[in-house]
Amino acid sequence: MLEHFHVAEEDEVRIMPDALRKTVNELFLKIGFSKQDAWQATDVLLLSDTRGVDTHGVSNMMRRYISGVAEGFINPTPNWTITRETPTTANVDCDRGLGIAVIPQVMKLAIEKARDTGIGAITMGNGRHAGMIAYHAMMALPHDMIGYAITAGGQSMPPTFGGEPRLAPNPHAWAVPGDKEPPFVLDISSSSVAANKIELLRRMNSMTIPGIMAMPDGTPIMDEREIPPDNIVLPNGATRELGSHKGYGLSAVAQIFAGILSDGAFGAYDGGHMSHFVAAYSIEAFTDVQRFKDSMDDFMKYLRETPSAPGHDRVYYAGLPEHEESIDRHKRGIPLHHEVVDWFDQATAEFNLAPLER
Amino acid sequence: MLEHFHVPEEDKVMIRREDIFKTTTDIFEAMGMPHDDAELAADGLVTADIRGCETHGVSNMLRAYVQAFEEKRINPTPNWKITHETKAVATIEADKAHGLVICPRAMDIAIEKAKNVGIGAVTIHNSTHAGMMAYHAMRAMPHDMIGYAITGGGAVMVPTYGAEPRVGAVPHAWAVPANKMPPFVLDISSSSVAANKINLLRRTGAPLLPGLLAGEDGTPLMEEQEVPDTTRLLPWGSTRELGSHKGYGMAVIGQVFSGILSAGLFGISNPPGNGAQFVAAFSIDAFRDIAEFKDSMDDFLTYLVDTPPAPGHDRVYYAGLPEHEETEIREKDGIPLHREVVEWFDSATDDMKLDRMGRI
Repeated sequence: MLEHFHVAEEDEVRIMPDALRKTVNELFLKIGFSKQDAWQATDVLLLSDTRGVDTHGVSNMMRRYISGVAEGFINPTPNWTITRETPTTANVDCDRGLGIAVIPQVMKLAIEKARDTGIGAITMGNGRHAGMIAYHAMMALPHDMIGYAITAGGQSMPPTFGGEPRLAPNPHAWAVPGDKEPPFVLDISSSSVAANKIELLRRMNSMTIPGIMAMPDGTPIMDEREIPPDNIVLPNGATRELGSHKGYGLSAVAQIFAGILSDGAFGAYDGGHMSHFVAAYSIEAFTDVQRFKDSMDDFMKYLRETPSAPGHDRVYYAGLPEHEESIDRHKRGIPLHHEVVDWFDQATAEFNLAPLER
Repeated sequence: MLEHFHVPEEDKVMIRREDIFKTTTDIFEAMGMPHDDAELAADGLVTADIRGCETHGVSNMLRAYVQAFEEKRINPTPNWKITHETKAVATIEADKAHGLVICPRAMDIAIEKAKNVGIGAVTIHNSTHAGMMAYHAMRAMPHDMIGYAITGGGAVMVPTYGAEPRVGAVPHAWAVPANKMPPFVLDISSSSVAANKINLLRRTGAPLLPGLLAGEDGTPLMEEQEVPDTTRLLPWGSTRELGSHKGYGMAVIGQVFSGILSAGLFGISNPPGNGAQFVAAFSIDAFRDIAEFKDSMDDFLTYLVDTPPAPGHDRVYYAGLPEHEETEIREKDGIPLHREVVEWFDSATDDMKLDRMGRI
């Protein structure tokens, strides 16, 4: 994540992952999640926060999930069902279950299918927020598989040349295991920045960055200025000349694999309706696993050893900064904004839980 | 394609699709390809031209292919084989087959697998340039399947923050059928522009737009200027702030599915001209009722084209729509080739003692 989006030093409170895990898990239990679902949902949030993906961690999401359950559009005890199935595929109705609880269970099924046939892919309708989708893709890694995950829904991004938001910055995530190198994990929204990052900017009273937002009439904002009241994000590429049709296109592909393929969902997401898609590709079905992992090591090494351009001291690959951040945060704790910690204290007091340990 | 990259009016020669197809087939046969393979490869090339993707049509590619055949870098009569196979996947060693031949054949295998088990995916190595990836993805559509195709490649693009090219401009293409609406066909390189577009700029003498190339030291060139001599592509997004790590990442994942998954090929270990591809077919029926899916696609695509346009624009498109409209125009009026390209055709057919390409 760009420096620009980090919590300012003076505003941060460090919380150890285990302490955060304990409180988050208790909150999920309080709002009616089963023991298993609470553990699962907590695990997804914690992975976001330990990997430095603050946009999809507890800071932005926890309060939304709690109000979602309170207002009735998230079902805390979903009974998700398979509506169609083949040896490689399935279509799942999520029964309004929270994605961070339901998707990992569905990904397990995709992994089973990939073990049998080489590939497993499952589309999901009637779902709710998916959290950091890298989590779902990464579930394939210990099985020597490549994982893929998409979530789609809502409208906060105009199509290229469009004057009104008709898509969401639907993200795609892939996870690929290496041997000794940290895994390649790419989790990219199809907008210039995730909508959640705009919220982070607002919280920090920052300006917008050129090329990430549009005016209410759809015109790309290509200078620094105050953040407009509506979060209209631009497709990645910002303008047609710089390739915004690619971000627009990737968003549409996500909507098709998740929404159209499951139950035809697109456009406005009533009640937070989200659609998802996960896939697992068994490496063994294509090639020798050890040879593949050795090649991945060589490839990742080749990339991070690229001589750096002036003004930069290193070249990364996707997943490497998050891997390093995770090591650091397990040691030094997760930096939360003090406003977020205040919210936790309020929530735990309301639910008669012990406060979040500092 | 942006207006900027089109052939200028005064340099245009209009040629019918059938005439380009026939002459291209003749040339491929003269290179030693069996008739069926020659027609298949010619269809791939001409489909790029008819859709207005001239970067991947005969203009840039045919002479490169002829040269590659002459230098024995493409095998006109390959003995390709499947080295790994399960119900849903296969790995192909292509024996230097032309990418425009092996990819459609691999896609046919993927389609067959998808018919049986829901999904088919094939990774390919030791092949050659595969033309416009959309062509291979689109092959799945008549079977009511979603097609997906990737081609890996050498090192022409700098990683984000990198000073030297280490990844290909690896394109991904998806093709999704609808009912009444033209299909959704997205074919995107993971660079800001395809390398071939830079060659077009050089041919047409147009200036370089900001955000397309990096300088010698890897610094993104963010001002309009003359096209530099070396083509160092920037990842889609141009700078880290605008999301170049997304283009860089798409290039890496494309290389993983094509080169690494098939034979461990990337960057330096991927000799120039050595192609690696990945194709997949997803049977719609395996997920949802086909007619319902196609109606939903119509609704979704209509919703997108009905978006009120932003100031300065008169329409909103979706991927595949402009290409569909261009196809209708070009089927009627012919394909505009640069006169320099037509001259190349004439000298090539003269050399090979073939009939010259017909004109309108």
